[in-house]
Amino acid sequence: MKATDVARAIVDTGALCVSSLGTATSALRAASDDGPHFYLGAAMGSALAAAMGVAEAVPDRLVIALLGDGELLMGASTLWSVSAYRPGNLIAVVLSDGVYGITGGQQLSAQTRFAAVAEALGGISGARVGNEAELRTALRELGRPSLIEAELSELAWPGPSPFVDPARVKLSFAAEVARGG
Amino acid sequence: MASTDPPESPVSPAWQTVIADTLAARGVTVAAYVPDTRLQLILSRLADNGVCLRSLSREEECIGYAAGQRIAGRRPVVLMQSSGLGNALNAIGSLAVPYRLGLPLVISMRGTLGEANPSQVPLGRAASSLLGTLGIQSFPVRSAAAAEQVTAGVTTLAFEAGECAAVILEPELGGGREGN
Repeated sequence: MKATDVARAIVDTGALCVSSLGTATSALRAASDDGPHFYLGAAMGSALAAAMGVAEAVPDRLVIALLGDGELLMGASTLWSVSAYRPGNLIAVVLSDGVYGITGGQQLSAQTRFAAVAEALGGISGARVGNEAELRTALRELGRPSLIEAELSELAWPGPSPFVDPARVKLSFAAEVARGG
Repeated sequence: MASTDPPESPVSPAWQTVIADTLAARGVTVAAYVPDTRLQLILSRLADNGVCLRSLSREEECIGYAAGQRIAGRRPVVLMQSSGLGNALNAIGSLAVPYRLGLPLVISMRGTLGEANPSQVPLGRAASSLLGTLGIQSFPVRSAAAAEQVTAGVTTLAFEAGECAAVILEPELGGGREGN
């Protein structure tokens, strides 16, 4: 499974998506043809918090955070906040490849085990999936909020630049929120 | 002839009440914060006004959460102690500012006038400079009389001009700063 396969599965849900810097933003751009999502160009560690903010602001839409594993490691304490407030329209999908992609592929120093951590906290459903069929099932059937670790088997760079134009991202995302779903 | 003016209230509202009521009147619907003694009465008054409270784990997370609220069209406020500003700088500088997600900040000062804890001094002394370096204006409040004008002005900068701006709760306000 490649990062773009994961991104395509989440785009197919029709959710409002929030992507962390680097691989996740590039993959979401590729999979959605630059769709109206909240692409982060930096602010490493803040994407899940941003997605939680969107989820609570737009409770009638499904919101999916597409996160690098290094990204979530840096902002992991937000898992405790998700457990505390439990937004029922939020899914976090982690691109689990064990490396920091945008900085050159350096390995993470530890096993992340985010799904198990999320389950242990309470109020978050966790799953680890190894292929696209399992991912699509988990997106559809897991109780929410949920955290899905998607194991990547290919580390190919998705393609589009992760250096997004903030003004354009803001305007298109705001228009999508206003449009409803 | 007797005056027809209404009598003045014998007791002015506390600064915490003024700030909270002004934020609520300006359409704030959610407050993301890391707890602090001096913020507590603002928060409880915000809750009385129907504002949703989100106690989060770290100031950077508060900025991320508020950025999500703001880009979705809502009006959040972020409250923190000045010691937490260092934790928040990356999210402010690489998310809130470049995306022009005007966020009002309420920062309770440590490390300045009357500070007894040496470890609080460097960040407190630098707080307004750090914000200014990122292009964020900050406005001190030292009395209840100034609280409404400053808070209202900061929300206007944030929600109408799209600029992050900060209300600085100076030590002269009192209100239970740790160590006092």
